[in-house]
Amino acid sequence: MNLSEVRSRLSNQRGQALWRSMEELCDTPEFRKSLEREFPGGVDGWINSGDQSRRRFLQLMGASLMLAGAGTMSGCSDKPRDEKIVPYVDAPEMLVAGKPMFFATAMPMGGFGRGVLVCSQEGRPIKIEGNPDHPASLGGTDSFMQASILGLYDPDRSQAVTRGGEISTWAAFWETVRPRLESKRQTGGEGVRLLLEPTTSPTVLAQLDELQRQFPRLRRHHWDPIGRENTTAGMVAAYGKSFAAQYDLSAARVVVSLDSDFLFDESASLRYSRQFMDGRRVRRDRQEMNRLYVAEGTLTITGSTADHRLAIRPSEIAILARALAAACGVSGVNTEMPAGREKWINAAAADLAANRGACLVMVGESQPAEVHALGHAINHLLGNLGHTVHFTEPVLGQSDSLDVLVDEMRSGKIDTLLIFGTNPAYTSPADIPFAAELLRMSKMRSADGTFANLTAHLGLYDDETAYLCQWHLHQSHYLESWGDIRAFDGTASILQPLIAPLYGGKSASEVLEVLLGRPERSAYEVLRGYWVSQWKNADFERQWSTALKSGVIAGTALPLQDLGSPKVVASASEKSAGEWEVVFRPDYSVWDGCFSNNPWLQELPRPFTKLTWDNAAMISPATAEKLNVVDGDVVRLMLNKRSINAPVLVTPGVPDGVISVSLGYGRLRAGHIGTVHGDQTIGVGFDAYAIRTAGERWFAGGVQVIKTKRTHRLVMTRSHHAMGTFTNKESLKPDAIATEQTPEWARETANRKLVRVATLEQFKANTNIIKELGGESEKKPLLSLYPGPEHGGWDYSKGYQWGMSIDLTSCIGCNACVVACQAENNIPVVGKEEISRQREMHWIRIDDYFGGSLDDPKIYHQPVPCMHCENAPCEYVCPVGATTHSVEGLNQMTYNRCVGTRYCSNNCPYKVRRFNFLAYADAETTEQRKLQRNPDVTVRTNGVMEKCSYCIQRIQRTRIEAEKMLVENSGAQQAEFNLIERLQTACQQACPTRAIEFGSIIPVGGEKTRVAKLKDEPLDYGLLRELSTRPRTTYLARLTNPNPSIEPAKGGAA
Amino acid sequence: MTATAESPVTISSGQDMTQVIPVLMPGATYASVTDQIGGIVQRPLTWLWIMAFGITFVVVMVLTGAIAYLLLRGVGIWGIDIPVAWGFAITNFVWWIGIGHAGTFISAMLLLMRQNWRTSINRFAEAMTLFAVACAGMFPLMHLGRIKFFYWLAPYPNTMALWPQFRSALVWDVFAVSTYGLVSLIFWYVGLIPDLATMRDRSRNRFTWTIYGMMAMGWRGDSRHWLRYQTAYLLLAGLAAPLVVSVHSIVGMDFSEAQLPGWHSTIFPPYFVAGAIFSGFAMVLTLAIPMRSLFGFKNLITIRHIDNCCKLMLVTELLVAYGYAAEVYTGWYSGSVYESYMTMNRFIGPYAPAYWSLIFCNIVAPQILWSRRVRQNVIIVFILSLVINVGMWLERFMIIITSLQRDFLPSSWGMYYPTFWDWATFIGTLGLFFCMFFLFARLLPAISIAEVRELVHETAGGSVPPSKMEPANVI
Amino acid sequence: MSSETLYGMAAEFDTPEAILEAARVVRRYGYREARTYTPFPVGGLAEIFGFERTWIPAFFLAGGIFGAAGGFFMQWFANVVHLPWDIGGKPMNSWPAFIPITFEMGILFAALTGVTAMIVLNRLPQPFHAMFQLPAFERASRDRFFLCIKSTDPQFSREKTADLLKSLHPLAVLEVPR
Repeated sequence: MNLSEVRSRLSNQRGQALWRSMEELCDTPEFRKSLEREFPGGVDGWINSGDQSRRRFLQLMGASLMLAGAGTMSGCSDKPRDEKIVPYVDAPEMLVAGKPMFFATAMPMGGFGRGVLVCSQEGRPIKIEGNPDHPASLGGTDSFMQASILGLYDPDRSQAVTRGGEISTWAAFWETVRPRLESKRQTGGEGVRLLLEPTTSPTVLAQLDELQRQFPRLRRHHWDPIGRENTTAGMVAAYGKSFAAQYDLSAARVVVSLDSDFLFDESASLRYSRQFMDGRRVRRDRQEMNRLYVAEGTLTITGSTADHRLAIRPSEIAILARALAAACGVSGVNTEMPAGREKWINAAAADLAANRGACLVMVGESQPAEVHALGHAINHLLGNLGHTVHFTEPVLGQSDSLDVLVDEMRSGKIDTLLIFGTNPAYTSPADIPFAAELLRMSKMRSADGTFANLTAHLGLYDDETAYLCQWHLHQSHYLESWGDIRAFDGTASILQPLIAPLYGGKSASEVLEVLLGRPERSAYEVLRGYWVSQWKNADFERQWSTALKSGVIAGTALPLQDLGSPKVVASASEKSAGEWEVVFRPDYSVWDGCFSNNPWLQELPRPFTKLTWDNAAMISPATAEKLNVVDGDVVRLMLNKRSINAPVLVTPGVPDGVISVSLGYGRLRAGHIGTVHGDQTIGVGFDAYAIRTAGERWFAGGVQVIKTKRTHRLVMTRSHHAMGTFTNKESLKPDAIATEQTPEWARETANRKLVRVATLEQFKANTNIIKELGGESEKKPLLSLYPGPEHGGWDYSKGYQWGMSIDLTSCIGCNACVVACQAENNIPVVGKEEISRQREMHWIRIDDYFGGSLDDPKIYHQPVPCMHCENAPCEYVCPVGATTHSVEGLNQMTYNRCVGTRYCSNNCPYKVRRFNFLAYADAETTEQRKLQRNPDVTVRTNGVMEKCSYCIQRIQRTRIEAEKMLVENSGAQQAEFNLIERLQTACQQACPTRAIEFGSIIPVGGEKTRVAKLKDEPLDYGLLRELSTRPRTTYLARLTNPNPSIEPAKGGAA
Repeated sequence: MTATAESPVTISSGQDMTQVIPVLMPGATYASVTDQIGGIVQRPLTWLWIMAFGITFVVVMVLTGAIAYLLLRGVGIWGIDIPVAWGFAITNFVWWIGIGHAGTFISAMLLLMRQNWRTSINRFAEAMTLFAVACAGMFPLMHLGRIKFFYWLAPYPNTMALWPQFRSALVWDVFAVSTYGLVSLIFWYVGLIPDLATMRDRSRNRFTWTIYGMMAMGWRGDSRHWLRYQTAYLLLAGLAAPLVVSVHSIVGMDFSEAQLPGWHSTIFPPYFVAGAIFSGFAMVLTLAIPMRSLFGFKNLITIRHIDNCCKLMLVTELLVAYGYAAEVYTGWYSGSVYESYMTMNRFIGPYAPAYWSLIFCNIVAPQILWSRRVRQNVIIVFILSLVINVGMWLERFMIIITSLQRDFLPSSWGMYYPTFWDWATFIGTLGLFFCMFFLFARLLPAISIAEVRELVHETAGGSVPPSKMEPANVI
Repeated sequence: MSSETLYGMAAEFDTPEAILEAARVVRRYGYREARTYTPFPVGGLAEIFGFERTWIPAFFLAGGIFGAAGGFFMQWFANVVHLPWDIGGKPMNSWPAFIPITFEMGILFAALTGVTAMIVLNRLPQPFHAMFQLPAFERASRDRFFLCIKSTDPQFSREKTADLLKSLHPLAVLEVPR
């Protein structure tokens, strides 16, 4: 495609260009070809492995009922227990059938814990919410936390101890490992190695230390493909010792991110997101917002929220950082100003300097130690320490790295290797031959023909690593085992099991207990044992139950450290990055690959690309033009003699010359969902680890890119509309973003005004600007032929009137709401083939609009659930009255009555309705996954229409409580108000930035609700208002806060 | 005696056209027309008929297969999706129901307008109507997500106190189409009664004698019966005429009730009716032209008939053209971004080829009908009728698909790609239609014998002036 | 054969003009109980023997009114009384939306009642009729016109009637057995 042409069109067109995909902008024969390939038809891409009987389910149910109900677990599936767990403080002490109970626990990821509340119905954990009391969650969740509930019920989780692939028993393993360790006592554990995923669990760390004491020469190694090596190294470089840095964005008025995706990949991302967005909510009474500068080597959700985003090659960021440091006055850095970046650097530096003590520079893990050190230097110089930056002792347990281990394996010094959790055979760097060495170790036999070495793997899945070990020990899921874990700031939480282990399985602490030569004890005993030793003081039980109830252990946060001035590291000389640079990033859906087998996450449309069931090499339009490739063309990436084949996906916003790939795909032993079948109708991506080396874990220059003949079918939920043979007609590119530049006439006749954007200055100058962007029709009242309430029409002014307000400024497009909705409302997964037929089922979707120029696009996220229109177009076209309106203003769907004419969907201007074209819900769902389903929500059958219900099941529960309360005490208006205000929809509750608010839009108990206040805000506007659908879901316009010195107020955003 | 034996000279398009061609070739007598038309039914099966029937029957089997798989898997076997939740099924429905309009229009409207030339084509035109409605009627049922609950669209007393939602045009549709089907059937049968009597009296074996006898209900041409009969028939026609208009108006409202750009348009009802009659006449010609030569009806269905049909097509075609123009005009004049975009999208969007080819088929090609030489050249007219059938199908496809495909939110735009099963179902109904028509041609007089006898009487100019024969004067 | 064994006396003609003429003559001779059978409607024949008007139109009208009224009532009852729902914020009695069905129901019932009336008033279906016994009557549905004076006519007498009919120069005069 001819890019200059596209650019020129974009530049010389009025108002806001909206182009959701490149193809839309221009048409190419290649693209047309790619379209013809689009629908070969036929094959169903669904995975079906329903082999579990309902009988097993009933056993588990019995067990788990006893567990949750009486609060004591006795006579469970496999072993007798006598262990207390305590419900979350808000929940009733005893199980009432049909009434959900919430238990506080924490989800471990990357070694850190994030507090969650698990909703349990009839003893089945069915939904995960954030724990408001937990510092790393603040009540928010991300898509991983939401989806982990499905991981619990994954039928592919390993279900037995295996030895060489044969089913064995724990006892058999004990008999193998115990004598082996005993024989090692005199040598002090010579040749024994543990390889663990990083952990902060106090109990496990204590056990490890004990083990270390027993076997002085035993070594611990850790491996995490994401890890924090650079961050730590940077800390060491700056302060000579490893510390953990934590940031307080609520105190920051200016934030500069150097390749840091702090809204996504930090262990405290949820906290940061909330704090950051709290600083950006502009309301009638609070007209100020923080400013974010982002310089990044790929396209991240953090970058999409930036006021000033600089997309540059990751290798240039070090240069940029130096220049920035110099500009901020950090001494001892060479001050060569990179060409073309002056404006950005000077503006950022000026802004930082102007906000001493209230600004922040964050450096991403992907950048080398030097850049981190520079970041610390700037923060220190600007006096941010103690305000926006805090330091503590490291929270993660320290241990040796993987490469050391592999060297020893090669030299044959090791004869016993025990692997806990991590999966290095798949994730280890390409230049560290871990898998080969592990295989050699496992196979080696001694003179008498017995195995010379012992290799064992404890994990949730019989994965790549398990396959290469002699033993595989099945691990218990975090929702079915006791344990403890620390958050980013050291705050410890107790992990409570929500259900007896579905497939048996043991936790790391249970295994370590045996390795310590002690009698086999349950994780519960081990855990309590540890904390008894910690709380020598007053009565243990009270403290214990408090810890369980609140989900955090008070006062366990690590003390903050005061650090002196950091060293500035002399800059290493840059080696040229070559023509192409490849960037590796954890995937927004499967992280490092540990979520590969989770269908919810696989089908989750990735931010920006809306890609599902695959990963792709994201490249900028200019790069695509240079390589002469279009979406789906497979390119070979060659990096020092290793190569992978990757389908490209043209994504505006990726820096030119950068090929951005995400990790965690192309797995060989992930399970039925995540394993690559080589079938394009299923296939889940390519393995980027294959070219990722230990030295260049995040980006690497000098990669060769060769276009191949092959193509791969990438399936996206967004650019369906771009398929088709387009002629180069500008008129076919819809305008949908309205700003001040949109001429008055166009606001009515040429612009869809789906996303209304203004800068803070424009808003301050004219608080009415957002309404004015609506054009003429916005000024007039909506007319209707139908009688209003005064003439016997429908009256929406009594009782509760439900409505929603979505803040486009706060939305970061993280997808948490989408998964939360899927979990709450039993939304089926349809598979790649069905997605390719435009039949995705998500009730809430996030529309990502690209605005501005191809090379420096502005990105707008817009979550779209059902609008619950008061004049719902879907209702009057239904021939059987299956969709009707409630007195509370809900547009409600009666599944039982639906005959499936699909007219409602045709007539829905927002296209939020979803149809069961085939038997999605039951046909392909395994029995175990059905256990996750929410008993309060109907499972929809083949041929039935469905859509967002505003979580009617939650509404009903709350209003019943409210009614009961008012019956008991008619004067309880205040209590009623509080109750209604506590009501949350699944998407709202999941949102880490509180972008979604839900409630009654009319006063409750005489008091004005949150959502009502928001709808009065000047930023409030309704989507497609001119259709007079009177949507109950409205939006708060997107505000940006550009620096006038870069973007003059009139120059305009996007 | 066979038809060809007696059938008089026929006019070939070569001949001089200045003379007015009669509706009925000279030399016809009561007996001759009776034997000619009746004889068709009684003459032995020809290999040609058997082959034609066999082929169409196989296609009907394809339809049965497609429906079986549909019931097995659900509508997901089609190419429909979100946003394009209606695809071939509704397109075919509107197309077929449109074709079904010419029959009743010819019988009813032309009867009311005293167009005596209708007599020799109304019978099979009505049959065509019935079969087309039968094909059309299947689709609204098949396209339901849960076919087993189709009866929920009908009002029937039930303990749950549930009713259809009468504001929905889809329910209007149920009433309109079923009423239309039923009334057309009655109209057709009433017209058949005297001919059934003729067939009874002509039948040479007990079996046909019994069957036709039962269907004729003992009709014997009693003058009093004739009086009541004609009154009822005329009144039926009086009802059927507005019915024809109402039915396709309501089909038009199926779309115009929505607020979708491209559907939400007040021009739809008249525009749909015109289109329906347009396509209907096209199909009449598609059937009549081969039939008149196969069954030797050239003396009964003369060039005059074809000429008249062409004129009517030309008129309705101009109405349809106005409809297209009005749509484009609205797209511009509305000043609505959605309307104008929808129009542009039809012009140059992904389905532009469909749009332009329908413009060619429905607007450009029919212009040749201005020339009488063309109107009276059966070959050209036959080809043109096929072209128009295709064009009208494309029109419905364009209205449904391109409107749904890109509506308000670009985020939810999409495409529609028909699958194998879409095609199988569509072609299957074509098979069903022709299969039923072949059976009809063999089992019932394809032309109303009684009315032709009446025509013979009039053209022969008996002592009874035609005016006195009008039943009106005895009501 | 006595006149009791006869249904009537029939004459066969081959043109509508002939039978019209014959009918007028027969009427002039005072016969009332006569029937004519023609292959197509011949205007004026029925009137000759005093069949002036038919009630068919009334049936059509009644059926139509009943259908339309019933159709509207059904919709009003369903949406206002029996199942009142808020549908897209439209009023319960959205009468404009009820018009199409009202109209269709009117047409349907008019057609059904009218045609049923026509069949019933014609005493159809009637598998057997005396005339069917005449072999020649087969052509009544092709090209022959029959006039039959019934034996129930007071003036009927085998001889006189036969003579009268013969005097009309028919193709044939036939006795129709009962």
